[in-house]
Amino acid sequence: MTADAGTGAAPTAAATTTTPVTAVVVRLKLALLRNGLRQSAGRRAAYLASLVLLLLFAALQLVGLIALRGDPHAVNVTVPLTAVLGLGWAVMPLFFPGGDETLDPTRLVMLPLRPRPLVRALLLASLVGIGPLFALCLLAGSVVATAHGPAAYVTGVVAAVLALLVCVALARAVATANLRLLTSRRGRDLAVLSGLVIAIGAQLVNFGAQKLGSSGLATLDPAADVLRWVPPASALGAVDSVSEGSYAAGAAQLALSGLALAALLAHWQRGLTRLMTSPDGSTLQAAEPVRDGAGRSSGAVRLLPAGRTGTVMERSLRYVWRDPKTKAAWVTSLAIGLIVPVFNAVQGTGSVYFACFAAGMLGIQMYNQFGQDTSAFWMVATTISSTRDAYVELRGRALALLLITLPYATLVTVLTTALLGDWAALPEVLGLSFALLGAMLATGAWSSARFPYSIPQDGYKNVAPGQAGLAWISIFGGMVSAALLCAPVIALTIYFDTTATGETWSWLLLPLGTLYGTALTLAGLHLAAPRTATRLPEILTAVSKA
Amino acid sequence: MTVDTVAVRVRGLWKRFGEQTAVAGIDLDLPAGRFIGLVGPNGAGKTTTLSMLTGLLRPDAGTVEVVGHDLWHDPTEVKARIGVLPEGLRLFERLSGRELLAYTGRLRGLPGAEVDKRATQLLDVLDLAGAQHKLVVDYSTGMRKKIGLAAALLHNPEILFLDEPFEGVDPVSAQTIRGVLERYTASGATVVFSSHVMELVESLCDWVAVMAAGRIRAHGPLAEVRGAAPSLQQAFLELVGAHGRAAVSDLDWLGGGAR
Repeated sequence: MTADAGTGAAPTAAATTTTPVTAVVVRLKLALLRNGLRQSAGRRAAYLASLVLLLLFAALQLVGLIALRGDPHAVNVTVPLTAVLGLGWAVMPLFFPGGDETLDPTRLVMLPLRPRPLVRALLLASLVGIGPLFALCLLAGSVVATAHGPAAYVTGVVAAVLALLVCVALARAVATANLRLLTSRRGRDLAVLSGLVIAIGAQLVNFGAQKLGSSGLATLDPAADVLRWVPPASALGAVDSVSEGSYAAGAAQLALSGLALAALLAHWQRGLTRLMTSPDGSTLQAAEPVRDGAGRSSGAVRLLPAGRTGTVMERSLRYVWRDPKTKAAWVTSLAIGLIVPVFNAVQGTGSVYFACFAAGMLGIQMYNQFGQDTSAFWMVATTISSTRDAYVELRGRALALLLITLPYATLVTVLTTALLGDWAALPEVLGLSFALLGAMLATGAWSSARFPYSIPQDGYKNVAPGQAGLAWISIFGGMVSAALLCAPVIALTIYFDTTATGETWSWLLLPLGTLYGTALTLAGLHLAAPRTATRLPEILTAVSKA
Repeated sequence: MTVDTVAVRVRGLWKRFGEQTAVAGIDLDLPAGRFIGLVGPNGAGKTTTLSMLTGLLRPDAGTVEVVGHDLWHDPTEVKARIGVLPEGLRLFERLSGRELLAYTGRLRGLPGAEVDKRATQLLDVLDLAGAQHKLVVDYSTGMRKKIGLAAALLHNPEILFLDEPFEGVDPVSAQTIRGVLERYTASGATVVFSSHVMELVESLCDWVAVMAAGRIRAHGPLAEVRGAAPSLQQAFLELVGAHGRAAVSDLDWLGGGAR
């Protein structure tokens, strides 16, 4: 096939094929949807449930947006909302590549199709589904909330359609441009991180909503002023401009969205042509030698202790960065460990003791150590022949964890204290953090040996089917035990805080907590080591289930 | 090394998974210094047996002695002397080939400089030098088997256990693996490998054990097990009771051009 396959086809057929191609592709999309639902009752139920939920949600936000009508700041909600909608459509195909089979134009590669009718057909087919329906509800609500007067409503109808098309074209253009990425290993690695984006995004939205609730919609003014010129939000900006009588601004904003749509379609068409006329490069790419990884890290690696300890630490640290599952778990822990205490402190609702959250969240990474290895644990198992080997292995993993956790927990604690201005409490909170971290490492090491479970490498699940109970026992039992183990330090903190003379002695909690945490970790490792050494085959079986 | 030295002594080995008996009482003496093939159809219990011989799976009953040391009571002595390449288990795939060898060698307690020297030679011999900085997750099946073999050989074990080392491997990689294994056994070391490809076993091994339905059906030097049969394939089919099944008269419509 040549690059100009589109223009080279029989010109007489062009006029007659245009409509059928669109109809065929839309019918194909409907058939895929129907057959997917026919496949299993569970899938049907899930689809119907998500449809009902989505419609409920759409109805609710429609009511909400209509209720917003008349509020002078309504446009501050609708414009950013449309921008967020556009962003959502742009990133969705990156994280859910398997979601829509018609998103994959390489399936049509054997058919003699010209790019322009194909783009039109795929664009229209993309409008079929729950996602576009939801987007349309949201846009309709936004138009109703923003528009005043007949001219604005006419603009609103055009704006809603335009914004929807921009969203869909954006998703398609991104998906086509990244198709090679999405079918490669790196793309799948990226998809595993999507859960994390949602988890952290939910935290940020939560805090954003709290802030909005406390200080009103006026806070969004500056954001809306910029976004009203950015497509697809500029379409909604046009509705507002027309409502206020500035027709020129409105026309410009509509034109911006129209231009964006044209540019996206052109980009998409170019990507589509290139994709369908060039060979699949995914295996060729894999055969190329990649960057020199060994030489890059050897400098820092030399600082690690020699022998098994350093070897285990090096591998653990490499996995934090390179293994998508491990990376996702770490980034989630790091982000939530920071967001909860610091955001609460910023809003003045927090307490310095929230800083212990960082230590707690990061300590979770010590749990199910061998499950994180997957069935590659056999490579570890064949080199452990004594309790001492098992002890050094577990200690190496704990040290690798401490290398990140200790400075991070300290940083979060200092930051939280600084934000709250409660410097007197710093030593005791640090002491409490370190004691908690030690307790988490101890219980984590022990439950790694006692309750190992498999972590599936693909998809979003973190527990293999049938082992959810094991994971619960491991993590929640461990966290409760860790809290109980910290009871003496907590009691001491309360004692110092409630007695008159305690204030002067509360700094003692820093050395005491640190010592106590260290002792707990060492004790935990010593208890876990013999269990690990004697249960190697059982651990291997437990972590090889996915 | 004399022919009589026993490398691995197995007595009364049993393993059940629920209702299914995977290994039903194996007694076997594997001679040292030989190229040993463990053959059998799919589901015969080869992988289960090899896992139990290498300490990766705990048997329900029975004992395993490797060069005179009990595997479960004296693991320190045993684990240092054996190399393993299991089937169906992952490697640390987010390391590069070279990093994987560096990691394995150091876990084995070898000095760093020695590990790096051996790794370089193994990567060269196994034709992996060009891909040594690539992550193992991006390796092909043949490359994975080769890097797994390198990791198993790194500490110069006395006995090497390989589970289906040629499964899914292209002919070029297979020849490379073969060359390395032949050189290794020529030095007096023992190789135990499982396979269901009879021609391969016949051309590589000088001692075989035939397994079917969790039991050892025959074992001994290749010529002895083959007996009067023209090939190991024929002898094997007779041993597992599948001989003559091919002479079916059904499907007589198949081929020949007629409808």
